[in-house]
Amino acid sequence: MSAALTLWHKHMRKSLVHPEEIIGLLLQPILWIVLFGVGMKSLMAPVMPSGSNLYITFMVPGIVALSALGGAVGGGSTWLMERVQGIVKEYLVAPIPRLSILLGNALSTVTKSLFQAIVIFIVGILMGMQVTTNPLGWLGGFLLVAGYGLGFAGIALAFASKTDSMGAYHSLIFLLNLPLLFLSNALYPLDVLPKWMQIGALLNPTSYVVDGMRQTLLVNGTALSGTSVLPLWLCFAVIAIFVCLGMWLAFSAFRSSVR
Amino acid sequence: MTELEQLIGDKESTKMDHQKQTSLAVESRGLVKRYSEEVLAVDGVDLSIAANTIYALLGPNGAGKTTTISILTTLLEPSGGVAKIAGFDVVRQAGEVRKRIGVTFQDVVLDNDLTGRQVLEYHGQLYGQSKQERRARTAELLALVELEDAADRRCQTYSGGMKRRIELARALMTQPEVLFLDEPTLGLDPQTRGRIWDYIRTLKDQNGLTLVLTTHYMDEAEQLADRVGIIDHGKIVVEGTPRELIDQMGADTFRIVGQGDSGHFIEQVRALPFVQTVTTGDNVIQVGVDTGSRRLVAIVSTATDNGFAIEDLSVARPSLGDVFFNYTGRQLRD
Repeated sequence: MSAALTLWHKHMRKSLVHPEEIIGLLLQPILWIVLFGVGMKSLMAPVMPSGSNLYITFMVPGIVALSALGGAVGGGSTWLMERVQGIVKEYLVAPIPRLSILLGNALSTVTKSLFQAIVIFIVGILMGMQVTTNPLGWLGGFLLVAGYGLGFAGIALAFASKTDSMGAYHSLIFLLNLPLLFLSNALYPLDVLPKWMQIGALLNPTSYVVDGMRQTLLVNGTALSGTSVLPLWLCFAVIAIFVCLGMWLAFSAFRSSVR
Repeated sequence: MTELEQLIGDKESTKMDHQKQTSLAVESRGLVKRYSEEVLAVDGVDLSIAANTIYALLGPNGAGKTTTISILTTLLEPSGGVAKIAGFDVVRQAGEVRKRIGVTFQDVVLDNDLTGRQVLEYHGQLYGQSKQERRARTAELLALVELEDAADRRCQTYSGGMKRRIELARALMTQPEVLFLDEPTLGLDPQTRGRIWDYIRTLKDQNGLTLVLTTHYMDEAEQLADRVGIIDHGKIVVEGTPRELIDQMGADTFRIVGQGDSGHFIEQVRALPFVQTVTTGDNVIQVGVDTGSRRLVAIVSTATDNGFAIEDLSVARPSLGDVFFNYTGRQLRD
C-alpha cells in the first residue's frame, strides 16, 4: 500500500510540473458549461421537467462525468508513457507488490478526476446551479464520481497496458468517449430521446453516475430527471459493478504486460 | 573509515556474512529464454560470479546480454534453468532478490519531469526507506556522482552523462549487494566513461559490492572487469580474467587481409611452431604468435610461397576483441 501511495504522490507531483496541462483540463469543462450550457439553455427550457431555467443545474453533473472521463484518459496515458519510456522497469525490479503499481496509477487518476469535479461544481454554482447543503448528499455524489472515474480509469489503464502507441491509445479512447457522453442522460433528459437511444443510455454507466449525482447533489434533482429517473440504489449498484469491471479489465491486461 | 564505507554502514557486516555462506553473488545453471519458436535469446547460460568482484558480459548487440540481465533482475522469467542472486532464486524468491539488487537499464529510464533529487527520494520511498535515511543517502550519493549542483534541476535538462550518473546513484540508493549495470557507458564521451569506470571501481573496492555489467566495448571489459564472459548467440563462449583470455591468444596478433588462395597459406601457417592461434572470418585472417616482430618475415614469406597476396598486415598486442574474434569468427564492433 505504501508503494501505491508513493506512486500516487509521484504522479501528483509530475502533473504539477505542467500547469498548462491542468489549466487545459479545467478550462475544457468550464467552456462546456459556459458555452454549451448557456447556448442550449433556451433551447432546452421546454423539455426541462420543471419547464424553467434549470439547464445549467441539469447539465453540470454530466460535465463532471465528462471530465472524470478526461481524467481517466490522462491517467491511462501517464501509465502508457511510463511503460513506453521504461520507467515501469524501475518499479518492477523494486520489492513491491505488482498490484500496487496499478493501484498507484488508479489512485492518482481518481484524485485528478475528483479535483476537477470540485472545480466544475464551483463554476456551476457561480453560474447559478442550485446544490444541496446536505453533507451526506455530497458524500454520495462524490463517491459516485470517484467510482465512475475509477471504473473508467480501469478501462483506460487496460488499453494503455495493451498498446505501445500513444496515437492508437488516444484514438481508441476517444472512440469510446463520444457515445459515453452523448448516448446518456448527461446533456438531455432520457424521455426526450428516441427509444433506441434510451436503451443505449440505460446500458451506459454514465447515465447512472449522472442521475445519481443529480439526486444526491442537487436541489430537486429527482424532479430534474423527470419521468425517467433511475432509482438511486440502482445508480450505486451499477457504479459499483462498473468499478469492479474496470479494475478487473485493468488487472488482467496489466498482468499480461508485466511479469 | 572512508566516507564511502560509511555509506554502506552497518548493513555491510550482515550482508557479508550472508554472502560468505553462499559464497557466490550470482549463480546460474542452464539459463534459457525462448521468446518464440525461432527466437532463442539465451541458450544455456552458466554463471558463477563471486562476491565483491566485477563481472563483464561482453558481446555484440543481440547476443543475449540484456535478456540474461533481465532474468537475473527478475524482470523476465526464464524458460528453463535456474538462477540465484545472493543465494535466492530469481523466480521463487523474487522479492528477496529485488531487495538485494540495484539495476541500471540499457536505455535511460528517468522521469524527465522530476529533479535528480526527487528521483532519488521517490526511489528510496518505493523501497520503504525512512525520511531521514532517504535524505542522508540522497545527499551522499549526489556527492558521489558529483551532481549536487544539478540536483534540483529537472532531469530533462541533464546531459547524457549526468543522466547515467543519476541512474547510478538511484541504483545505489537502497544499498544493494549486487549491482547490475546494462551498458552503463553506452553513448557517452570518453571522459564521462572514464568517470563512470572510476565510480564502479570505487564501489567494488571500498563498498564491497558485486557488479555485473554488460558491454560491447572491449576496452571497458578489459579495464574494468575481474572476470569476463564472452557471450554470443545466447551462449557464454569463453570465460576468464581478461589477462587469461588475452594470453591464450599468444603474445602478439597479426591481422592479415589479402587476395588469392588463403587455404594453403592458413594450412602452412598453422603448422609453424611459433603460431598459437589462427582464426579466419570477415576476410580477415588472425594469427597469434609468440613475438610479432621476430615472426613477421616468416609469415610474409609463407604467404608469398603459397600465392597469397597480402594487402594489409598489422601486428598488435591482442585484445579482448581478438579473443572474441577467435571464438566467434566475427569482429566485435561498437
